[in-house]
Amino acid sequence: MDFKLTEEQQMLQDTVARLVRDSYGFEQREHFYRSEPGFSREFWQQLGELGLCGMPFSEAHGGFGGSGVDNMLIMTELGRGLCLEPYLQSQIHAGGLLQQLGSVEQLERLLPVLISGELQLAVALEERQSHYQLLDVQTRAERVDGGWELSGRKVVVIGGHSAGMLLVSARTRGEARDEQGISLFLVDPQAEGLSRKVYPTIDGPKACDLFLERVLVRDTDLLGEPGQALAALRYQQGRAIAAQCAEAIGSMQEACQLTLDYLKTRQQFGKPIGKFQALQHRMVDMRTELELATSMAILAACVADQADSLERSRRLAAAKFIVTRAARFIAEQAIQLHGGIGMTWEYNLAHHAKRLVMLSHQLGDDDHHLSAYAELLHSA
Amino acid sequence: MKILVAVKRVVDYNVKVRVKADGSGVDLANVKMAMNPFCEIAVEEAVRLKEKGIASEVVVVSIGSSAAQEQLRTALALGADRAVLVESNDELGPLAVAKLLKAVVDKEQPQLVILGKQAIDSDNNQTGQMLAALCGFAQGTFASRVEVAGDQLNVTREIDGGLQTVALKLPAIVTTDLRLNEPRYASLPNIMKAKKKPLDVVTPDALGVSTASTVKVLKVEAPAARSAGIKVGSVAELVEKLKNEAKVI
Repeated sequence: MDFKLTEEQQMLQDTVARLVRDSYGFEQREHFYRSEPGFSREFWQQLGELGLCGMPFSEAHGGFGGSGVDNMLIMTELGRGLCLEPYLQSQIHAGGLLQQLGSVEQLERLLPVLISGELQLAVALEERQSHYQLLDVQTRAERVDGGWELSGRKVVVIGGHSAGMLLVSARTRGEARDEQGISLFLVDPQAEGLSRKVYPTIDGPKACDLFLERVLVRDTDLLGEPGQALAALRYQQGRAIAAQCAEAIGSMQEACQLTLDYLKTRQQFGKPIGKFQALQHRMVDMRTELELATSMAILAACVADQADSLERSRRLAAAKFIVTRAARFIAEQAIQLHGGIGMTWEYNLAHHAKRLVMLSHQLGDDDHHLSAYAELLHSA
Repeated sequence: MKILVAVKRVVDYNVKVRVKADGSGVDLANVKMAMNPFCEIAVEEAVRLKEKGIASEVVVVSIGSSAAQEQLRTALALGADRAVLVESNDELGPLAVAKLLKAVVDKEQPQLVILGKQAIDSDNNQTGQMLAALCGFAQGTFASRVEVAGDQLNVTREIDGGLQTVALKLPAIVTTDLRLNEPRYASLPNIMKAKKKPLDVVTPDALGVSTASTVKVLKVEAPAARSAGIKVGSVAELVEKLKNEAKVI
């Protein structure tokens, strides 16, 4: 297999890496974290100006037709810099849903501003009881004259506080956990009846819960056919998982590098602690997990944009499981090898560790994906 | 005005280089390579002159293995119009490079040649000056500001203890210092456009230049590791140590 990047991919990687290195120093990130949006609007604008916000969209829609591998390169660098911008949620996940389900009118209205970086989207799919099950939707949409009325509650909507438009799943018919009857709506965050409770997540980015009380959504803001959104939700979650795996790889690479540097620097008993074999073994175990996870992230990137199939779903579930396991292992080992400093707010590693643990709990944890893998293996 | 910019493929400045065990050079296996940072500044300056309408064409040239095409593509993505690679797998010293660039200058006839003041791999800081001598052009080295005024070029140079501004008659050679500008990022549309821009490959033989080296590297070694410092108890002790141990006051 040829893993060599093309010249264009190499340049893309170099551009994002340099941009992140220049804009996302530890103190700068701290400043962005404490700012009102919880990320850098300037950095987001720069992503738009450089065309990076348009990478995941087809050329027919004014994007650059980026593949899963292109998305992987961007996400890895954003992960390495612990970037707080909701690129994954807005451009890859929400953008993918919009592109897959949107009508010509909706695409013409929203994609140009999404690609330029002027519009940021957020995806509101999870509910308190849903526990990663996309079909477990209790938020209801009732038919009214000229549109729909949405009522219910959505939780942990990352980037939902700053989004210009929210993609909300709601049930237009059927009972909770029915495969049929789930629809996706474009909801204006300023709409009457919608309130948001904003909070920071433990790993940095801000999120919010949505409370919907008879929020009126026009027919023109229904994405796709009513009740038919589940297949697209599953497919696009797969693309988001591939991107998330890449983000984790960037963060894990940085965590390993920080740990290695620390082992070579910290002196104990008159020599660097990296001279002790027991610690060397731990470091090697971390790198082994990272290599395994990197292979799976590449596999996920390669299948992310393939047509939907059981095989694609199985590979993505496997990737998420392996990457999640590696992320937690590396985060924990890195802290152990650092000792107390690995937990301090003022040191970058602590933030990587938190991010890596939290990534495991977004878009399905390891248990969820292991059981999904087992089911798919059985049905294959 | 046509501008020629020379760029070099070097080890990425973020990489911690390692000396080979036999001391014959730096280990380049699986090491990330990039455009020399001073050359990036040179490309940026040329592209800015083009954007101001002063330059009509920006041609980038690199000398090295076929892998140097990556750096030429990067320069094209930053805004250069076309590229020339002088393909050679030999280890080339500054004089050989200057001779090859002279041949390219003769062919392209640029009014301005911009180079980095030095490459971060060998730190020679010679090629620009040698090229100016070979071409008989005026030179403004270590430039922190470049202004075109008619058929004259005003170059502010960073020199020991201050700045010096020189006026050069065109055609001229400029070598860039770090403070000349801040290179832009290659945007996605420009990365896509870069692959359609022309990139010619020539050989030293075709240019009629002999690249035989006059310098032989005998040994390469890493700098000595910094030894641990000490804490002094008082100012008096510090002064005493500076006077008697370090003998600097």
